[in-house]
Amino acid sequence: MAITSIKNLKEFSTNNDRFEGAHLLCPGCAHSMIVRELMNCTDDNLVISSNTGCLEVSTAVYPYTSWDTSWIHIGFENAATAVTGAEAMYKARKRKGTLKDPDAPVKFVAFGGDGSTYDIGFQWLSGAMERGHDFTYICLDNENYANTGGQRSSATPVGATTSTAQAGTHSYGKKEKKKDIVSIMAAHGSPYVAQLAPNKWKIMAKGFQKALETEGPCFINTVSACTTEWKFDPKDTIHITDLATDSLMFPIYEIIDGHELNILYRPKNVLKVEDYLGAQGRYRHLFKPENKHVIEQIQKDIDKNWELLQRREEVRI
Amino acid sequence: MSITGSVPGTDKRGIRELGGEEKVGWDEVTQGVAINSFIGETENAAFLKPEERSYSDFNSYTATVASWRIIKPVYNRDICIDCQNCWVWCPDTSIISRDKQMLGIDYDHCKGCGVCVEVCPTNPKSLLMFNEAADNDEELAGWPEKQKKEKK
Amino acid sequence: MAKEFDLNEVEVWDGNYAASQALRQAQIDVVAAYPITPSTPIVEGYGSYVANGYIDGEFVMVESEHAAMSGCIGAAAAGGRVATATSSQGFALMAEVLYQASGMRLPIVLTVVNRALASPLNVRGDHSDMYLGRDSGWIQIDAFNAQEAYDLALCAFKIGENQSVRLPVMMHQDGFTTSHKAQNVYPLKDDVAYKFVGDYVPVDEMLDFTRPVTHGAQTEEDWHYEHKAKQHKALMDSRSVIDEVFAEFKKLTGREYKRVETYMMEDAEVALVLLGSSVESAVLAAKQLREEEGIKVGVVAPRCFRPFPYDLIREALDVPSLKAVCCMDKSAPGGAMGALFNEVSAAAYTTSSRPMITNYIYGLGGRDFAIDEAKRIMKEQKAHVDAGHITTNIQQFSGLRGPKLGFYETRRS
Repeated sequence: MAITSIKNLKEFSTNNDRFEGAHLLCPGCAHSMIVRELMNCTDDNLVISSNTGCLEVSTAVYPYTSWDTSWIHIGFENAATAVTGAEAMYKARKRKGTLKDPDAPVKFVAFGGDGSTYDIGFQWLSGAMERGHDFTYICLDNENYANTGGQRSSATPVGATTSTAQAGTHSYGKKEKKKDIVSIMAAHGSPYVAQLAPNKWKIMAKGFQKALETEGPCFINTVSACTTEWKFDPKDTIHITDLATDSLMFPIYEIIDGHELNILYRPKNVLKVEDYLGAQGRYRHLFKPENKHVIEQIQKDIDKNWELLQRREEVRI
Repeated sequence: MSITGSVPGTDKRGIRELGGEEKVGWDEVTQGVAINSFIGETENAAFLKPEERSYSDFNSYTATVASWRIIKPVYNRDICIDCQNCWVWCPDTSIISRDKQMLGIDYDHCKGCGVCVEVCPTNPKSLLMFNEAADNDEELAGWPEKQKKEKK
Repeated sequence: MAKEFDLNEVEVWDGNYAASQALRQAQIDVVAAYPITPSTPIVEGYGSYVANGYIDGEFVMVESEHAAMSGCIGAAAAGGRVATATSSQGFALMAEVLYQASGMRLPIVLTVVNRALASPLNVRGDHSDMYLGRDSGWIQIDAFNAQEAYDLALCAFKIGENQSVRLPVMMHQDGFTTSHKAQNVYPLKDDVAYKFVGDYVPVDEMLDFTRPVTHGAQTEEDWHYEHKAKQHKALMDSRSVIDEVFAEFKKLTGREYKRVETYMMEDAEVALVLLGSSVESAVLAAKQLREEEGIKVGVVAPRCFRPFPYDLIREALDVPSLKAVCCMDKSAPGGAMGALFNEVSAAAYTTSSRPMITNYIYGLGGRDFAIDEAKRIMKEQKAHVDAGHITTNIQQFSGLRGPKLGFYETRRS
């Protein structure tokens, strides 16, 4: 594969973007940061599919497309199936000799938000992973159904308020824990699974390249800070993402072949989760005295998870 | 807008407001809602700079979202160290970099989020946000001085 | 290179196997499928061809029918020949993406083995799934027996892939009565069949990297209507292409198909309009009744359910002698007249004969439709003619236990 240099940012910046402006994503949206970076990680041709969601409704509204590569959207749930159908067609036509340019290098990539990945498209994703197609699925995890105005998904963390899991006099927001999608995908025996974040651009680029290079179905969960529904100033997208990774709310790690776990980023100074929560409107209610226990519980969960990740890394199996 | 005058782009960049395109009849819409990004056959865009591409009228490159902006980033070349932080994190493909050099802002596609200013590491910053109506030259003339680090 | 399949001049195939052989001969690039009764043997047949070297394409066994059609759409947009098979609940699960396939103008072939829809759950053949697909923008062609299931599947590729059509095609056959009934089938040799179908010509393919293309864009009120109108026109205009393909098939095989099949309509006084495997029963009943009682009965069978052949139905019913027509729908009507009744009435309204038209619901969940019952209904039509008005409810139920069930009366004489 034609990998582009990620030695340093200057080198990386010589790439020619294949994701165009005048898309309709909100100012400061992390989705497009992640998509741009993925597309800049390779010079190969790309066949990209997107589930319904913010990315899809913002980048292909007739008569405009923001994609300079092949792209398809079918429904909310089936981007993994759409792109693996295309991948199967590529294999068939390569074998039969009906491709226009059989030597043109190509990578197959699917994008989905957390709603379509964790929830409605979960079965389609699982099926595609099990079938072993050569593709990379990237979840743009903004922890809610942002495209429809911010409803809870199974990626919404404990304590966040959403329009369907609201904080109120009788509720501190979502009570259920976030689904551990990374472990679930690793349990499919995928050759490469990772959780990455755009603030750590180089780690993310390396992970993207690894996934694109690895033959077989790869999965990457990316944290995509949502200015609109997390309720922070659009200029702070990277700052908020820094807080997410440095409080270990979003640990950065990879799992190879379903078992070999490597932590890819260890914050020098681990921040308290209050710093992360306090920077966003969706957690504001947790700072009321009656909800203090929720923050304590979130911190405990983070500590426990970090401990678990470190132990899994240590065992080297 | 002299500072952006040298920013490369094609003569098709941002020529239409979204929704401002001609509304053709059923006989002229594309079959199967397919949209071609470029006119005719083209090389992989990864090997072409925007100014070398044959953008079709369907490419959002030809549309503008400038009207979304109420504040705008202004770029000061004299301070910039070409670190490319603004390039990598711009969500709107609006930082124009060529050969490792930051050249300026694509005001047709910038929505004024301000991320570029936040991630700019120079002191003073090489990018600052101003009211959309501000005159760039005036703002550049009055650019802030280097700030001393606050002692902890 | 796929092996050639050694075929006899006459094979004994059921409808499922006939359809799977046609898929094999069309040299499909990608089949993405999920098994469901009674269409499972189509997928199994294809699986055995894969396992034994008769297929060059990819066979992707997915985790649901929705994924089967989703995979087909992704594959079709990547520029190759695509097909799958389903029935009933699987068809219903696919429903969302059926609309995507037609809206994106992807000529996928879906062999549907018709089966009832739950609840109550039922694996037997009726036309509920076929009727569910009637607004999905697909061409729908109906085979009445195994030979037709084979012939029309080959035609389906040629029709859908025609550059002026570029629409997906459903190839229907009845669950069990056709799909599992072994009959004599005269297949074409592999090379003859493939030559008839022809090479696939890609349009806006995602694997032509010199022309990056976006598929599945969103359209709102400014653009949606024009796209749907354009799609509808392609579907309506496909009628002439269907006629051409049928003509070409006749030239090759001597077997003739029409968008509307008519039997003994030249002098018919009463007629039955129906679809599927029941057509053969109705034709037999009509012949017997003509001999036994001298009642001039004809049968009209829309071969093409979508685009609905209003033109040819009208032509078939514009017989001066025709006085009464019974439209028979093998699908639970859900609070209306059966679909055939509605479509046929619309077509008949402008005929000079303006026959009386009634509706029978029949055969739900695989309830048998016997020759005697067909004759009884035909005689009932004759009674309307003799009385000069419709003597029963307009909608009735055939072969149903319990008190007689019927809806709507008419004062029209």
